[in-house]
Amino acid sequence: MTLWHIDPELLGRYARGDSGEAQAFSVEAHLQACARCRTALAPLADRERHELVWLEVVDALDAAQAGPFERWLARLGVPGHSARLLAATPSLRGSWLAAVAAALGFAVVAAQGSHAGLLVFLLLAPVLPVAGVAAAYGPGVDPTYEVGVAAPMTGWRLLLLRAVVVLAATTALAAGAAALLPGLGWEAIAWLLPSLGLTLATLALATVTSPLRAATLVALVWTGVAWAVWRLTHDGFALFGQVGQLASALLAVVAVVVLVARRDRFDQGEPL
Amino acid sequence: MDGNEGDAELLGRVAEGDREAFRELYDRHAPWLSLRLGRRCPDPGVVDEVVQDTFLAVWRGAARHRREGAVAAWIWGIGVRRLIDRLRRQPSRPRELSGAAGAGDVAPSAEEQVLLDVEHGDLGRALGRLSPELRAVVQACVLDGLTSREAGKLLALPTGTVKTRMLRARRRLREELA
Repeated sequence: MTLWHIDPELLGRYARGDSGEAQAFSVEAHLQACARCRTALAPLADRERHELVWLEVVDALDAAQAGPFERWLARLGVPGHSARLLAATPSLRGSWLAAVAAALGFAVVAAQGSHAGLLVFLLLAPVLPVAGVAAAYGPGVDPTYEVGVAAPMTGWRLLLLRAVVVLAATTALAAGAAALLPGLGWEAIAWLLPSLGLTLATLALATVTSPLRAATLVALVWTGVAWAVWRLTHDGFALFGQVGQLASALLAVVAVVVLVARRDRFDQGEPL
Repeated sequence: MDGNEGDAELLGRVAEGDREAFRELYDRHAPWLSLRLGRRCPDPGVVDEVVQDTFLAVWRGAARHRREGAVAAWIWGIGVRRLIDRLRRQPSRPRELSGAAGAGDVAPSAEEQVLLDVEHGDLGRALGRLSPELRAVVQACVLDGLTSREAGKLLALPTGTVKTRMLRARRRLREELA
């Protein structure tokens, strides 16, 4: 294109900012097209600034990139810090949700063949969000627990925030599975109220002990009650009848009251 | 154009996530970019931030750059627009605020681009005879490849003023170079 190159003296003046406007103009027009003169200019730039900016670039590249779930939350209008804390929820990871889906899948397959399989599904569906909430927050399960304790957000808010999302995700999966049940009767939604009651009971208990222990206790009691009902009535489905649903709703209301009354307990650091 | 092929290859490797190639590209292009931006913005802190932003954009957009077209021009296009965005967010130059901005954008015409190819010495002399106001507009619209609106933001001028000044400058230059 051109055999002309910028002479070193002009290049030096340009680098120092001492060249006139018109000269700078032609230097820049030439630099855009000439790699040789760009190379000649490079040593004249501020070395220290060059390295510092590079370090910043590398820092930005190494900073954690927002995952798809976090970006999706951000698009829904969730503030950045909440999205990051939600995305870090252990029981919202792909592996956890996959395990939930697998458990539901097996129950649905079992329900195709037998009445007992259907009962297994109904017993399992309410416990899954309980397990999810147990793994949503607290020392031992949450890799961001230490960060969360130090964050300017109350533990109560964080746990509730995560519980809501976990409950929504698990319920959506269970609802999807329920749609595959044979016959699609009342059984398809019979687990919803118990699910809500058990989850809220877990949260309420988490004000007394760790979420993990609370969830274990709730799951054990649920199993025990199911067994007792079956022994007494010889009908496993009695648990999901009118009385059962009413009791679930009552449990949910009581749990909410306890939860609100004792919410400060979440912010007293180490539980408990 | 000796280094151009190397640049395109480097960019190809950057697109594959090669950090070493990225460092090489940075060493080749950050110095002139920093100096050139520095002539348009006196705050070194802002310039450094814009250089950083630009190379992050280069890293993320490397795959989108097609092999045709010079890499340096591509990088400059990113850099100068980031600078304008940055200046718009921080309106620290309240001069010439009067007058409404004209509507619509006019991309630099092919005719204006021809100015870039005029032989160096002649162009330099012709530009030297322009008033500083006209020269700044020519620089923004022709050399920097900005639209009238972008040039207006860079120079803190209404778009309409940029257009009329560019018109006058073009006429003057045509006379000089004829």
